[in-house]
Amino acid sequence: MRRIPACLWLLALCFCCTLAASTAGEATRGIFEKRCLNCHGDAKTSGLDLRRLDTIQKGGAHGPAIISGNADQSLIYQAVARLGRLQMPPGKPLSDDEVKSIRQWINEGAPWDDTKASEPSWWAFKKVVRPAVPAVEPSDWVRNPIDAFVLHNLNQKGLKHVAAADKRTLVRRLYFNLHGLPPTPDEVATFVNDPAPDAYEKLVDRLLASPRYGERWGRHWLDVVRYADTGGFETDMYYANAWRYRDYVIKSFNEDKPYNQFIQEQIAGDELWPDDIELTGGYDIQPQKLKHLDARIGTALYTIGPTYHEAALNGEQLRYEWLTDAVDTTGQAFLGLTVGCARCHDHKFDPISQRDYHRMMAIFAGSEEREIPVVSKMNVFGFKSGYPNLLHVEDVKEAIQKIDQQARDRGTADVLSKFSGDVATAYKLPAKERTPKQAELSAQVFKALTQAGLLENAAGKDFTLAYTPEEQKERDRLIQLLGQAAFKASYNYPTATVLGHADVVPEIHMTSRGDFHGNGDKVGPGYPKVLGGSEDIDDKSGSGFVPERRRALALWLTDAGHPLTARVMVNRLWAWNFGQGIVGTPSDFGRQGDAPSNPELLDWLASEFVNQGWSIKKLQRIMLLSSTYRMSGEADADNLKIDAANKYSWRFNRQRMDAEELRDTVLSVSGVLNAKMGGRPVIPPLTKEEENGMWAPSQWPVSLDTAEHNRRSVYLYVKRSFPFPMFTIFDAPESSQSCPRRDVTTVAPQALALMNSSFMVDKAKLLAERVSAAHPGDAPVEVQSAWMLALSRNPSDSEKQSAARFLEKGSLAELCLVLLNTNEFLYIE
Amino acid sequence: MKMTGFDHLCERTIRASSRREFLQKAGLGFGMLGASYLLERNAFAASVSSPMQHGFAAKQPDFPAKAKHVIFLFMHGGPSQVDTFDPKPVLRKLDGQPVPQSFGKVDFQFTKMEKVPLMGSKFAFKKRGQSGIEISELFENTAKFADDMAVIRSCYHDGFTHVIGQTWMNTGWGRVGRPSAGSWVVYGLGSESENLPAFVVMLDGGIKAGSPAYGSGFLPAMYQGTVLRTDGSPILNVTRPEGIESNEQRRMLELLNTYNHQYSETRQDDSDLSARMSSYELAFKMQTSVPELADLSKETDATRTLYGIGDTETHDFGTQCLMARRLVERGVRFVQLYSGGNKGGSVGWDGHGQCEENHTVMARRVDKPIAGLLADLKSRGLLEETLIIWGGDFGRTPFTNGGEGDNPTSKGRDHNPYGFSVWMAGGGIKGGKVIGSTDEIGLRAAEDKVHVHDLHSTMLSLLGLDYTKLSYFYQGRDFRLTDVGGRNNLASRLTAA
Repeated sequence: MRRIPACLWLLALCFCCTLAASTAGEATRGIFEKRCLNCHGDAKTSGLDLRRLDTIQKGGAHGPAIISGNADQSLIYQAVARLGRLQMPPGKPLSDDEVKSIRQWINEGAPWDDTKASEPSWWAFKKVVRPAVPAVEPSDWVRNPIDAFVLHNLNQKGLKHVAAADKRTLVRRLYFNLHGLPPTPDEVATFVNDPAPDAYEKLVDRLLASPRYGERWGRHWLDVVRYADTGGFETDMYYANAWRYRDYVIKSFNEDKPYNQFIQEQIAGDELWPDDIELTGGYDIQPQKLKHLDARIGTALYTIGPTYHEAALNGEQLRYEWLTDAVDTTGQAFLGLTVGCARCHDHKFDPISQRDYHRMMAIFAGSEEREIPVVSKMNVFGFKSGYPNLLHVEDVKEAIQKIDQQARDRGTADVLSKFSGDVATAYKLPAKERTPKQAELSAQVFKALTQAGLLENAAGKDFTLAYTPEEQKERDRLIQLLGQAAFKASYNYPTATVLGHADVVPEIHMTSRGDFHGNGDKVGPGYPKVLGGSEDIDDKSGSGFVPERRRALALWLTDAGHPLTARVMVNRLWAWNFGQGIVGTPSDFGRQGDAPSNPELLDWLASEFVNQGWSIKKLQRIMLLSSTYRMSGEADADNLKIDAANKYSWRFNRQRMDAEELRDTVLSVSGVLNAKMGGRPVIPPLTKEEENGMWAPSQWPVSLDTAEHNRRSVYLYVKRSFPFPMFTIFDAPESSQSCPRRDVTTVAPQALALMNSSFMVDKAKLLAERVSAAHPGDAPVEVQSAWMLALSRNPSDSEKQSAARFLEKGSLAELCLVLLNTNEFLYIE
Repeated sequence: MKMTGFDHLCERTIRASSRREFLQKAGLGFGMLGASYLLERNAFAASVSSPMQHGFAAKQPDFPAKAKHVIFLFMHGGPSQVDTFDPKPVLRKLDGQPVPQSFGKVDFQFTKMEKVPLMGSKFAFKKRGQSGIEISELFENTAKFADDMAVIRSCYHDGFTHVIGQTWMNTGWGRVGRPSAGSWVVYGLGSESENLPAFVVMLDGGIKAGSPAYGSGFLPAMYQGTVLRTDGSPILNVTRPEGIESNEQRRMLELLNTYNHQYSETRQDDSDLSARMSSYELAFKMQTSVPELADLSKETDATRTLYGIGDTETHDFGTQCLMARRLVERGVRFVQLYSGGNKGGSVGWDGHGQCEENHTVMARRVDKPIAGLLADLKSRGLLEETLIIWGGDFGRTPFTNGGEGDNPTSKGRDHNPYGFSVWMAGGGIKGGKVIGSTDEIGLRAAEDKVHVHDLHSTMLSLLGLDYTKLSYFYQGRDFRLTDVGGRNNLASRLTAA
């Protein structure tokens, strides 16, 4: 290659710098954005930042990335051309053309326009800028800015919105969406017959104000935070206070707690509102303290994750597992990012480094579970004054165990008497003193004892003890006494399990590939660099003499300018209202997630959300009042060709009821739904078939009061190792990690469950009884009434006829079962 | 630069956002969707989440499928390798002595290995078949098929407690929540049966890892294992409700169809609605096909005897094994049998106390049934296309169970995930092979080590699936059964003459 005189190079360099860009330069910027900036942009992996010329020239850990004018000597060229040991990018190499462009760009003197590099490169990390509402042709259809954004998008894509849904469809849609329950026939009639122009608005407001709303919308949030009542795994320990968090969530939605406060409470309720809650003076806790208590219960979010019992054999592992769950859940629920990848290595797509991940772990290091009273000190002392009865309980228990021991000793003596003296002697020796021979002899005794049911054996753990008549009598008496004593005794005062602080704040070190023995560099607490968290959190102690790292995290997340928090939540709200998000991946706003189908709308909603004081109900009201929400679900052949998935909202999405909604609706239609709110989990009965496969059926103590079995689904026991079978069939989340969006499957076991399960068959019978009790002997009216209850409409003539024909041989209960199986029942329009 | 498996996982580019969207785009009919539960391979590939770019839809597998079905015989609790398929004469010689320091230290659930003596096997090992593979007397019957078996003696993972061990073996990961191997296979291949679930599980009582061991994790729920019971209603809800006769139910379904058709008239574009209608047809068919499947009365006495049905000890597992044959005969893709669930309070193969006694009891329950299954499949020409996998949570320690303060005369063995045996047969495997070995006492896998990921990649390879491509996009990345591990050279070694 011919050498070009240096002066010419210099000239070219100056020329290009002033010109700022060239074709090769622009191509290079494109290549960097596509293939390099994930790691060498915001994240500055190995210290290299490829967004600005000075940082490119400065380079990273390996030295300057380019030597302007000399591609062959430039590290970056060597790396992309794969000439030396450093080969970049990992994975698929750049194409020859791309490599050529970079070469040319360097040789041209690396012309570059820095002004293009100031913002984070990924849309979701840029600050929300409230977009202007697009000017669309004025029409009745545009009721609020949402409609303008949607219409603008539709126009651009060549789509037309469909007509509005009829009132009966709307009233059903609103009830199911906001309450997860069907409207009663009266409620349908009231709305349908209300000619007032604001009838729809009134209905929306009434439904938003009902406590049923929190039960439905709280459940959505419980998916996101992987709620369960147990820890999972073999022992599947019970979290006795998890339900307080569930109730906290329901209450928060019902009270329209501002979302920023909702986040602050869950992450750092204790650090933001420290209080000596039970020390009120008097029997009642003052309202202010109750509020603080409520905020602290929010932190229970971090005490209900999956816990692997045996991890406690190794404290380090237990802590590591807990921190992992805390960081992953925080990342998905609040940031809408899948940070989990970065536990073991730098994220391959999003600028979240392994160091970022560990810095987030450090935020939670030093926090741990605490059990706090939820009653005043007066009450705590009151409970304690009842403890002597517990002494009695222990006493009676010991007396029973004594009898058992007597019986066991007698049985053992019996067994021993059948062996020779040598064997008995060997058995009686302390284990450590036996000779090998004696050990063998004693093993024979162990075997015999096991067979006699006196010892734990290979096939089971049940003992069979033989009592004398006197023993039996005394034992029976004691068992009864135990019951009485237990009934009188006062056990522990009511508590909540929340997050507090450990006595020692452990250091967090970088780990290698997910191995919990962290031997790497020590890292301090902080947020991901890309989101502005370059500095560690200032770790000075707060008023509680504890590091307030979570407080800092909560305040950072809820800063009005945070690029993700509001966007992620308004997208969730949109998805739960409309059936799919503006971003189709509600917990992944990173590069692997879906691009927003209407970015301006998303940003307008995010900005409006913050402007409205982070009020979920206010934002939701805007969505519900839009024409976009009121559209029908009808098809349009032209639209289908362009946007079959309805990504751009030209119609309303038909949605199958989810698992809880289905169960609640069936209970409601059959007239037995128990509307009681809150409290400890309800354990419904299982059929023998359903129970099959549970490791310890004793861990499924069915609630005694059968009325409890008809409570709303959100109150049912969520057992991680044994999800409620009917819910599993209908795609309920499995609760080991955050679930952003439920699958909707259509499979034969659903049909089997709806046609054959005792739950459905029983409820169909109840529905039949309900309609015939109201209209005894009048079959056509019974049919009509069943239709009204299940489908909120009268049967058509042809439906009446086919129903009548069916009833010639079939029963009303069977007809009701058919009705509860129809697509019209299962799908909400 | 060489493409590593990991890079591949991250090279994802295309994804359809929903099944509905995909179907609408692809213009697919509903018939197959209704049957998604038992989907055909091609239909499936189009219908779910669509890993089209580098999925298996339009690509040839790395090598042709050898196996069409899998029967995974899972010994719940963890069978001891040194008492079954991994003879250790040195261990026997060192019986009663402390573990030599040269073996280092590893973590066990209960045992401090410096505190306990080595314990040789009490069971006699014999050379079996022409290949001369040594197998212990515990599997006297099964051992007759040594020449059909590939015994892998160098398996390992790192989960030394039951749930983690079971989760590793069943889902290829050490934490609960990933899809099970059966789910992955059905996700990848669908089923050949028209009226039975594609992935069937049989239990004898609960297992410690619970339903997540055969669950679908983050795959759609349609891929989870369906529990088949050998008493009562064979499959959940498959029995018609009491008082509703078959013809009555037929009438109900006809009425349902009428209403659903009317509803669909103005909603022709929605394939989910028609899929649901088909799912009822399928459900109705299952009400006949499942009882027919579960009815063993038509099997000959000779067959029943072959499986040990009728004998107290072997009846339960024999029934499961016979059912397994009937399942694969009917095209079911993946059958998972668990021996040693908690039925009757059993601890399964978990021989912490008296391992010798425990294993004698447990092996007696399964040995004849497994031999019966192998013989039966062979005689029907089904073994060639059915991959049998035998294994458990992990193996057991070559020393006794316990630590400080425990009875030093304990004859139990603790859990040992660091080296254990799994054997495979059928599914194109040329038997009579031993793969890998543990160290002299059987503590750790030593030569030719085979990680759980390798077992799974081998299984997928035998089924004709490229384990590096069978992936599912979830929470920001593609996941696969074998994570970033796995190798398929084992499959070719197992099938080589």
